[in-house]
Amino acid sequence: MRDDADTPESTTGLDPNTQRRAVRRRYARIATEESSCCASSSCGGDDDNDDLNRQLGYSAADDESVAEGANLGLGCGNPNALAALQPGETVLDLGSGAGFDCFLAAREVGETGRVVGVDMTPEMVEKARENVEKNDAHNVAFRLGEIEHLPVADGTVDVIISNCVVNLSPDKQQVFDEAHRVLRPGGRLAISDVVLTARLPSDVHADPESVASCVAGASPIADLETMLSTAGFEQITIVPREASEQFIREWDDARDVSDYVVSATIEGRKPEQNVS
Amino acid sequence: MKESLMDIICCPMDKHDLDLEIDSQDDEEVLEGTLVCSECGERYPIEDGIPNLLPPDMRD
Repeated sequence: MRDDADTPESTTGLDPNTQRRAVRRRYARIATEESSCCASSSCGGDDDNDDLNRQLGYSAADDESVAEGANLGLGCGNPNALAALQPGETVLDLGSGAGFDCFLAAREVGETGRVVGVDMTPEMVEKARENVEKNDAHNVAFRLGEIEHLPVADGTVDVIISNCVVNLSPDKQQVFDEAHRVLRPGGRLAISDVVLTARLPSDVHADPESVASCVAGASPIADLETMLSTAGFEQITIVPREASEQFIREWDDARDVSDYVVSATIEGRKPEQNVS
Repeated sequence: MKESLMDIICCPMDKHDLDLEIDSQDDEEVLEGTLVCSECGERYPIEDGIPNLLPPDMRD
């Protein structure tokens, strides 16, 4: 059993268990709702998912190559574009949701590669598994797991991707430590996530719904750089995407959260020779 | 879950290897079964082809 008293304090105003519950509740609800688009608050509220996907960095060909139902419009970028995947590579998606990024990755790594998606919400993993059939994607596998406790063996992964998920974790340092552990020497991390650009008002900071909708859990770039470096990553780059303000503005009805968070690409590499 | 993925998975808690107990399978896809940690003995269920490798206190 875990002892949460030993884990570092969450960066949000919530205790870790409350945070996990809020996140699972929100994504279970989204996974089981019938609507493909308007279920999520990161979708502008109409059924124009195409525009959103272009803003996120997906091509029309990306949309067409994956059967409907895998893209819930919950991301904040396109980690696959960032990862420059090669045929034969093993890819791990942290917080794989309904599987959209996994299916795109599967196309890149081909039959000799494989893609594993980990998500802690049973309803999401179930949906993702249904999508495996629809996409006839036999090099993709999903499992229930927590990104702070990855059920993945040491040094077995070439590339870690993730789309707007790490911010939801109450212990981001442990997420990056685990990512580093499972990567092979020379392996890379290429994720899209929100970063904090200004101090949040205190009512947002401690609001479970704001944590679950990828706002209150965001960390400043400097903190993320420190965490990645502590985990052992090199060649760390964190680059905000200016265009993300357009869609982030739609995430909260009550206030313009683009004043506080912006989508960023976060990259790092595990050194070839692990000196530790 | 495909048996061929056994080489990449491990116990989420102590990272040791898992042993696979199969209850039902369809070709190489394991539909029902259990993954058992070779070190701590923790048992992780496979239901409907999905391995549940959540930490025990999150499995509710």
